[in-house]
Amino acid sequence: MDVQSLLAESKARFAHNSAKDYLREKYSNKVYIAEQGGLWKADAQTIAVLSTFDADKIILIDTQNNPVEVDREQLLNKLKSLYTEVMTEYYKEWKELENKR
Amino acid sequence: MTRGVLLFAFNSPDYDYVKMAEFTAKRAKHFLKLPSTVVTDTFSLKNLNEELFDKVIIVDSDDTNNFQGRVWLNKGRYQAYDLSPYDETLLLDVDYIINSSTLLKVFELMDDFICHESITYLMNEYDKKEYFNPKLSISSLWATVIGFKKTKRVKQIFELLRMVQENYNHYGNLYKFSTDMYRNDYGLTIGWKIANGHFNVKSDILPWNLIHIGPKTYVYKNSSNDFNTEYTIIFDKWFKNKIKKEYITIKDMDFHIINKDIVVDLIK
Repeated sequence: MDVQSLLAESKARFAHNSAKDYLREKYSNKVYIAEQGGLWKADAQTIAVLSTFDADKIILIDTQNNPVEVDREQLLNKLKSLYTEVMTEYYKEWKELENKR
Repeated sequence: MTRGVLLFAFNSPDYDYVKMAEFTAKRAKHFLKLPSTVVTDTFSLKNLNEELFDKVIIVDSDDTNNFQGRVWLNKGRYQAYDLSPYDETLLLDVDYIINSSTLLKVFELMDDFICHESITYLMNEYDKKEYFNPKLSISSLWATVIGFKKTKRVKQIFELLRMVQENYNHYGNLYKFSTDMYRNDYGLTIGWKIANGHFNVKSDILPWNLIHIGPKTYVYKNSSNDFNTEYTIIFDKWFKNKIKKEYITIKDMDFHIINKDIVVDLIK
């Protein structure tokens, strides 16, 4: 039995909230990166902290709770690039999902 | 430095695990560009397509794990450390469906050992942990996806897994979990805890959830393409004593299927 006839027969409803949760799960693993001896999450908080400082080298606590001395600008650029890439994909799928309403 | 996938597949009277291993090996090659080694027994070997594997290793299977009238041939996973031909190994359950390159991150993130602790039951429960006993706060690791390198500490973890398997009733009594069925998840958790002096080593835990297709949830592939990555997930939601079916479509997301009958349908 193919999926379309199965859905028609079961009268299943599209679960919008579950689809939102699925998207969040799907993109949660894409924002991690190993860089400069630490494991980082490319999220708004880490990018904001890196942007606030102006020193070349700073010490940050990575996602494994280890203090790591990093080249601030280099890490900032990596995280911004990954964040943009992942969020662009996430947003694209999110818009497709919204259109199913 | 070599990298590869290690699979254990012993056919039982109920399920063709060798066929599942072949399916996983094909997808590991396609999505991860990694070779696979299968560990199997002489009984299962006759159904195996050896060309799909980098290496085939024959061991004796252990049929002493019986639960609800079925034999579960899941013992002996502790041999993974000694049997793996790779410097960096991805040890996978054969009911884990690879649909993306996500697992390559395991190699990037691990020091010498890494696995999942938190899980999500798609369309049902998100971001949760499973506890040995609901009254105790000891959460279980998951042996479904394990990344490891050959180091002294990792060797100890697998040797301890063997010790727990061989003394499962004792550890069940100690940690207050049911010993009706042997679970590698529990054995691995205890072995890992002992090897680390009962400290939780955060870097050993993958920072995202293991996705399960759990109870009352069904998976249908959206295309018959060999490397299909799009699925419809249907969940039976109970509402006012009636089942209300709900569905979502997912794509490019790996998942682990609890119900083996669903795996059989998917790999047809």
